[in-house]
Amino acid sequence: MTAQANIRVATRPHHTLWGDAWVRLRRNKLAMAGGIFIILLALAAIFAPLLTPYTFAKQNYNAILQGPSWTHPMGTDQLGRDTFARLLYGARTSLAVGIFTQFIVICIGLPIGSIAGYAGGKVDNYLMRFVDVMYAFPDILLVILLRSVLGGSIFNIFLAIGLVAWVNIARLVRGQILSLKSRDFIAASRAMGGMGRHITWRHLLPNSLGPVIVSITFNVPRAIFTEAALSYIGIGVQPPTPSWGTMIQDGFGLIFAKPYMLLFPAIALALLMLAFTFLGEGLRDALDPKMRR
Amino acid sequence: MAEVVIEVNNLAKYFPVTRGLFRQKKIADVKAVNGVSFTIHKGETLGLVGESGCGKTTLGKCILQLIRPTSGEVIFESQDLCELSDKELVPIRAKLQVIFQDPYDSLDPRYTALDIIGEPLRIHEISKGKEYQERVAEPMNLVGLAPYMAERYPHEFSGGQRQRLGVARALALQPEFIMCDEPLSALDVSIQAQVLNLLDDLQQKFGVAYLFISHDLSVVRHISDRVIVMYLGKVMEISNRDELYKNPLHPYTQALLSAVPIPDPAVEMNREVIVLKGEVPSPMNPPSGCVFHPRCYRAFADCPKVVPLLADAGGGHQVACLLYETSRP
Amino acid sequence: MAPLLEVRNIKTYFQTQDGIVKAVDGVSYDVNRGETIALVGESGCGKTVSALSILRLVAEPAGKILAGEIIFDGVDLLKLSDEDMHKMRGARISIIFQEPQTYINPVLTIGRQISEGLEFHKNMSPREGMQEAARLLKLVGIPHPERRIYDYPHQFSGGMRQRAMIAIAIACQPQLIIADEPTTVVDVTIQAQLLELIRNITKEFNTSLILITHNLGIVARYAKRVFVMYAGNIIEYGSAMDVYHFPCHPYTAGLLASVPRLDEPRKVRLQSIEGQPPDLIAPPRGCAFQDRCAYSIPQCLNEKPPLQEIGPNHYTACWVSQKGTRPWQK
Repeated sequence: MTAQANIRVATRPHHTLWGDAWVRLRRNKLAMAGGIFIILLALAAIFAPLLTPYTFAKQNYNAILQGPSWTHPMGTDQLGRDTFARLLYGARTSLAVGIFTQFIVICIGLPIGSIAGYAGGKVDNYLMRFVDVMYAFPDILLVILLRSVLGGSIFNIFLAIGLVAWVNIARLVRGQILSLKSRDFIAASRAMGGMGRHITWRHLLPNSLGPVIVSITFNVPRAIFTEAALSYIGIGVQPPTPSWGTMIQDGFGLIFAKPYMLLFPAIALALLMLAFTFLGEGLRDALDPKMRR
Repeated sequence: MAEVVIEVNNLAKYFPVTRGLFRQKKIADVKAVNGVSFTIHKGETLGLVGESGCGKTTLGKCILQLIRPTSGEVIFESQDLCELSDKELVPIRAKLQVIFQDPYDSLDPRYTALDIIGEPLRIHEISKGKEYQERVAEPMNLVGLAPYMAERYPHEFSGGQRQRLGVARALALQPEFIMCDEPLSALDVSIQAQVLNLLDDLQQKFGVAYLFISHDLSVVRHISDRVIVMYLGKVMEISNRDELYKNPLHPYTQALLSAVPIPDPAVEMNREVIVLKGEVPSPMNPPSGCVFHPRCYRAFADCPKVVPLLADAGGGHQVACLLYETSRP
Repeated sequence: MAPLLEVRNIKTYFQTQDGIVKAVDGVSYDVNRGETIALVGESGCGKTVSALSILRLVAEPAGKILAGEIIFDGVDLLKLSDEDMHKMRGARISIIFQEPQTYINPVLTIGRQISEGLEFHKNMSPREGMQEAARLLKLVGIPHPERRIYDYPHQFSGGMRQRAMIAIAIACQPQLIIADEPTTVVDVTIQAQLLELIRNITKEFNTSLILITHNLGIVARYAKRVFVMYAGNIIEYGSAMDVYHFPCHPYTAGLLASVPRLDEPRKVRLQSIEGQPPDLIAPPRGCAFQDRCAYSIPQCLNEKPPLQEIGPNHYTACWVSQKGTRPWQK
């Protein structure tokens, strides 16, 4: 190896895999816009008490169904509660649902998918048939069923949604592991004495991360929407805890009289879901597995 | 003759072909390796040549138990590796290593060079801290990769450098035997020479034995001490290197050698090319008798009927062909 | 007689994340009627890109042919309209790729794929096209062609698929065939079959052939003239005999020395070329091979050597050679 050839390799900018992905992501304007929106909304939700003097439960019978004004930037609802405040606190609910359900999804979906993918044979067969059965049920109905069984606290809602949503991740991880299993670097690891656990934790899972991250990012808006849907039909979070779904339900009855009551939460929900979707698409392009040249 | 490192006896690997919706019924076997025996000695390079479908890669993987053979023995350090469980094989695996064909696929894209070379050390829990750093730096040095490259990822290396990385990884545990599965096929011509010289040097230095699998006859001739020619899962000819290339006995070997073009227009102008007719038959349905007879330009009446055994043709040269069997029991 | 194809000073560049890759940087070669020439080089030297440039198959917008002319039978291909170029491809110039899988449509039968070109270029009806397809499959040595035209690509073996690709390429009796590494993925005995087939066909129809490969043996066997490429340029060309026996560029000499030969006594150590090809985004100022060259002189660092005649019809781009010496010749 000539010294000069060495220097040529050295002076090329050092690309790490995550570094490369980050550069690609940064270039995607929509994804960045989505990401920034989410961060801003999260900050607003966390610092809600600083942003509004009202709480989500404070009722004011003197100020029922008012339109947007200086004292109530987004108006009030039928009980005199400030809409802007309810929107901000409701964001907490939505974001919490989005994120915590994914924890459950990972805790169940990842192990099942990995075991099925790595073990193969009968184990794979049985696990996947179980997954197929779960998959065959309509999501929302199953969530409603679980929610009725488990009860209405917010944690049970996480559980209900999470217990239905893990199926996609399990299939995804299994697929990733199946395709990775036949790669030479896995054979190399076995050839030097690596056993199942080492190969799974050190090689298979790290290389499956990309698509899993993308899938989870897409799962979040689905979970948020599911929660909103549950709240819309009345079995989501219980009042007075605010939820954008409940707000939409409340606003729906007055859609012609006071359209702003429906508009604000509906637009907020749409924007949040869009933001996650753009981010997810951006991540998918950035984390494309063909990262090698 | 140096001592035997690996002894392979009657190794066979059949892949079942099944059909059926619920209960898979076996309808045929793909006889990838169909009764192969040979020995590899300490410090020697055994070349294994053959075309696609001959079973050479499957054979290599069977020896290392990456694929479990259907039958036969692989004797290493007085133990039959086929009888050992995966767990029991772990300490032995430290002494038997592999270099793969595809320099892009055989390295984990998420590992740095340091991690890649160090993985065998970590699996066998050898050395920590400073000693670990040294033991990783040494193979890197030996294969000619500069130390600052240790923090780089595979996609930042060229094909030849990646292959060197694979060699370094194979050396990390100072093995006695390395199976080289077409290590040069994916590399450019001028880089092939670099890696070939490297493998040569390392063998001189450490006395490691190689099983060098390749379809490139010129390369095999350069590096091997003895050569095996395989076709459709069976051994056609075994010989010392010089003897095989000077005096090929089996018609398949002769056709193979004739098909390799020589980089010299003057020589090529006067050469006759033996063009075999047809293609390699499917290993699911190998021809009867001598598996080569349908394509053989010297086949005669007995060839489809009798399976030729490997017979001694003098001086360590063995050939499986009815043309050379003077008497049959 | 004027050459069938004259590639003059072609420059094809690609826009990438890291900069502009000068894949082909001023390349000229020519092919006479009925002649087989070889473009030799290793990966990244630009041989495939230059061939794709002839057929204007370079992937836009990233890739662009920026300069030069490609005169085919008196017509500059780079100035043709897209429609006219489309009529050229497959009919008067065709190409055989390295991997049949990427080039053959898996959902069409082989017969239909051959017939497609015939219907477009020769105005045949689908039935006539299929009949002709069967005849072509027979010509390339596929058994039972009248049945095989109804088979799908996955029902053919690798060697057979390549033969089918050859059939597609010769269907409209082109004047020029470009074969880009046609046998790299097949075994040595199949390679012999395919190349002999190509040789017979080009002889019978007086077709010109550009053989692109890194295999020096194939070149010696089949090509009359050889063009050696390195880092986007042609660095030596001449008759095969001249280039192989009297290489006038250290890269050519190095390549020849690094290939083990079956007919020579075994060398104890192969001569290898140290280092790697240069970065095509920022190619060096002087000779592109300089940093790997054992014979370079100061001039090589600063000035890029042009191609100059060094012998009858033998050209090289090397300062050392042009000074009259060949220190690499043993």
